[in-house]
Amino acid sequence: MKSFENIDVKSVREAVSLLQKFHQQKKSAAVVGGGSEYLQLMKDHVVEPDYLINLKSIPGLDYIKEERGGFRIGALAKLVEIEEHPAVREKLLILSSAAGEAASPQIRNAGTIAGNLCQRPFCWYFRSSNFTCLRKGGQVCYTVTGDGRFHAILGAGPSYIVHPSDTAPALVALGAQIKIAGPTGEKMIPLEKFFVLPSVDYKRENILNPAEIVTEIFVPTPKAGSKGFYHKVRERLAWDHAIVAVATIVESSGSVVRAARVVMGGVAPIPWRAAKAEEFLRGKRIDEATAKQAGEIALEGAKPLKDNVYKVKMAQDLIQRGLLASA
Amino acid sequence: MAQAPKEYSIVGKQTPRIDAYERVTGQAQYTGDLQLPGMLYARVLRSNVPHAKIISIDTSKAEKLPGVKAVIHHENAKVPWSSGGHTHRRYIFNNPVRYVGDPVAAVAATDRHIAEDALKLIDVKYEKIPHVLDANEALKPDAPKIAPNGNLSVGKGAFSAPIEESWGDIEQGFKDADRVFEDTYITKHVNNAQLERRVSIAKWDAGKLTVYASTQGVSNARTDIAKDFALPLSKVRVVCKYMGGGFGNKNQAQDYDYMAAMLAKVAAQPVKLEFTREDDYIGMHGRWASEQHYKVGVKNDGTITAVSLDAVTNMGAYRKQSGNLSGTDFYNIPNFKKVIKPVHTNTVVAANYRAPAYPQSVFGFASFLDQVAFELGVNPLDMFMRNRAQKSKGKLPFTSNYLEQCILEGSKRIGFSEKWHKPGATAGPVKHGIGMALGGYPFRPGLGAATIRVNPDGTAHVLVGVTDIGTGAKSTMAIIASEALGIPLNQIQLTNGDTDVTPYSVGESGSRTTAFTGPAVVAAAEDVRKQIFALASAPMKSKPEELDLRDGQVFRKADSAQRIALGQIVKDSGDLIGRATTNPNFPKEMDGKCFSAHFAEVEVDTWTGHVRITRYVAAHDSGAILNRLTAESQIKGGVVQGIGMAFSEELLIDKVTAIPINPNYRDAKVPTHLETPEVEVIFVEHYDPYGVFGGKVVGEPPITAAVATIANAIFNATGKRFKELPITPDKIVRAVQV
Repeated sequence: MKSFENIDVKSVREAVSLLQKFHQQKKSAAVVGGGSEYLQLMKDHVVEPDYLINLKSIPGLDYIKEERGGFRIGALAKLVEIEEHPAVREKLLILSSAAGEAASPQIRNAGTIAGNLCQRPFCWYFRSSNFTCLRKGGQVCYTVTGDGRFHAILGAGPSYIVHPSDTAPALVALGAQIKIAGPTGEKMIPLEKFFVLPSVDYKRENILNPAEIVTEIFVPTPKAGSKGFYHKVRERLAWDHAIVAVATIVESSGSVVRAARVVMGGVAPIPWRAAKAEEFLRGKRIDEATAKQAGEIALEGAKPLKDNVYKVKMAQDLIQRGLLASA
Repeated sequence: MAQAPKEYSIVGKQTPRIDAYERVTGQAQYTGDLQLPGMLYARVLRSNVPHAKIISIDTSKAEKLPGVKAVIHHENAKVPWSSGGHTHRRYIFNNPVRYVGDPVAAVAATDRHIAEDALKLIDVKYEKIPHVLDANEALKPDAPKIAPNGNLSVGKGAFSAPIEESWGDIEQGFKDADRVFEDTYITKHVNNAQLERRVSIAKWDAGKLTVYASTQGVSNARTDIAKDFALPLSKVRVVCKYMGGGFGNKNQAQDYDYMAAMLAKVAAQPVKLEFTREDDYIGMHGRWASEQHYKVGVKNDGTITAVSLDAVTNMGAYRKQSGNLSGTDFYNIPNFKKVIKPVHTNTVVAANYRAPAYPQSVFGFASFLDQVAFELGVNPLDMFMRNRAQKSKGKLPFTSNYLEQCILEGSKRIGFSEKWHKPGATAGPVKHGIGMALGGYPFRPGLGAATIRVNPDGTAHVLVGVTDIGTGAKSTMAIIASEALGIPLNQIQLTNGDTDVTPYSVGESGSRTTAFTGPAVVAAAEDVRKQIFALASAPMKSKPEELDLRDGQVFRKADSAQRIALGQIVKDSGDLIGRATTNPNFPKEMDGKCFSAHFAEVEVDTWTGHVRITRYVAAHDSGAILNRLTAESQIKGGVVQGIGMAFSEELLIDKVTAIPINPNYRDAKVPTHLETPEVEVIFVEHYDPYGVFGGKVVGEPPITAAVATIANAIFNATGKRFKELPITPDKIVRAVQV
């Protein structure tokens, strides 16, 4: 690991002004919460910041507060706290499940919600110091000629990473918003707009500018009559990323769908919202045939690589299963 | 069943490890924990090209980096590594480099980060040579040559090639068959993935080299180092007190021991060289991948008449070990022929990993037999029972063989007959399956040595060369000593793993520890007991042969009430020393083997490709069990490794760049607790006349049957035969869609 200087900051404002200062000085700096992900990138020489700004020293940024209309979750709230929070379990079950499906118990005890949303890709070419891939300033995405069994089937190109977060698809399905602090103050935007496709900019995964940090997530409580489902397929039941993950929320009146959200993880460079499938479901009764058809619609336009064709059917099946469970 | 000649005080009980407390409280000092005064830290630069000549290597910038004390490479450290390759000469740094991961240079510095930074400052110029990654491609006449004689790995003696074995009349065997089946099974390179990364600390004192190694064999490590550094054995000391697992990849001395020694020599300071996890995956070795083509002749009732096996095994760039495949060992095959070609490719080296020649070939052969049973309409339980081994290599009797009981007891425990159904018969997307396979491992005794010192207070010191690689060998040796001496376990101190102090040991690999060193401990105990009885003769007014020792008390066999504490007998005698070097063997016309029958039930989710093992039963014939607690743990651990090999583990190499892309725990996917069911262990216990206290072997066998057992259960669930490992969700989803 390259030598770096650690700075414990006491406030969001201090963190932001340090980021701004280092950026102006053309020095590399990064923020860390739990550090479970970022320190590994440093050990693997994927990132080599001069300064590490430790956010854990900011008091009170790890809250989970239930308010009218929803939950406010501080950036430093740990995955384990979200997983085990009684009101989150009761009212935001898919978020609690998704947080509990992430990584391993050890990582969930350290990893924060903001860190989980801001993870860098887990593509093996990206993570290896032996490959200078497109995303690291190189010329090619090695997945195209190499082994892309875990890579994207939707929304990809020129980079084929998948977004690794478990909580992101669940939060997008829940219609969460994300609060970002920067030099000019704070802004709140829909989480869905936070992520960046490689066709827009293949060197980043989200919209954060160099002096911006995530400070809070707001999750609206689903309307009465809503049911949700989060399911993650992977090779190993702990410490493994999704091959395909599906988050669904179905708001029904009687047995008729008023609104549905279908969001996939592990299939695209961002949490992938299947808007057409959602539209298709509105006003329908969910039975096996409808659920199956929704799955097929959700995967329309999938462009698998040679090694990940299997993901298409797997995702269709999982959506079908998710919708039947949410109905 | 054969019974033990007498009842034992401690053998056969559940005994916690004698060093359990130190290990779980963190007091145990593993090699990586050791700190020597003035010690430097080292890192290794590895080739990032698969096959190339090194034109130049410029280390001047690295040497100037503050904190760097030594930089070595193929020009200034041309040390042969004899046990690293058995076809062409292998050095600790090779030119040409032959795979991505071949060491190019090593740096010692005042801390490991400086050493790591220094690696980036080394400028290596390569002239690329064409390379080959696939074993079949490598055998083609126009393939790039990796060894001077070509890519069929031809070495001397045990390393000759092809590996050939046959008995009976293979042609007649196929003629006698009602049906003949042929198929091919494929297994991949998997890493040993032991928790403790490879680490070595070397220091020189007035021409004497001490290596604190993480080795499975201090004696053979010493022999290797002495040979390759041209030192007398007396000038080399190898120490390994606590060892964090090896599963076959840490036997003998390895290149990192040599690099540490060379760096320490150049820097004139002790050097610790600890691998990173990536080093560990690509810099040493894993299990050889294989492509196994079987032809099997059977009668309509399933009886095997002939088996032929043609295979290639991918050994990577160097031939470190055999490359053999022996999964047919557990069956009665009257006519047999195998031809196995170990092949060189420009990939990570393959060598020993727990039961080296077995789990991959048991997967191939037991899967195929299960398939043949299906084609014949024979129940797999009948198929395996009918064809189980009754003689070795078609003719030799075994010293003991309870394979039949393993099959009977294991199948009864899991309810195989009641639960087995037509493959793929469960309705709905989640399908139940049950499967089985046979496994085991050779058992033979051999050369061992031990010293026992009885102190004047009646306590004892046992000195053995063994390292405890996780098997509980230290505890086993102490248990054997306690039983053989008649001194309670808590009055026995065990010293192990130090070539300056402890006597020879074969190396803790190949399930040899108990069978080789155990008899020496027993003989050393008998030696010292003779001395004790001679001393006790006068005070007990008896002839020595009328006396016995148990629980630290010397007593008359005829009247056990007449007794004196051992401490009283020996208090004025200084130390009594018992010693023995033993080399037992079987009669020539016999063979030794332990056996197992494994059974698993699974649920396969055909939508997600996820397989859950709902029940696992492992029935083993390991002879008598010396320590039930550690023996059961070994069985469970072996099954877990088999689960990883069956479901997820595979070292993947990028086909374009030849660079391994998943050399770490995260991406190579060793199993976690969640993949691991409770393993129900059955020991079909009996007394083997050639084992120490009737015991055969435990360590290697448990992994052998596990992979095939799971694969056969998946077949029963899905009706789809998976002929290539690992059986990952993508393969399952693709297969069931067809």
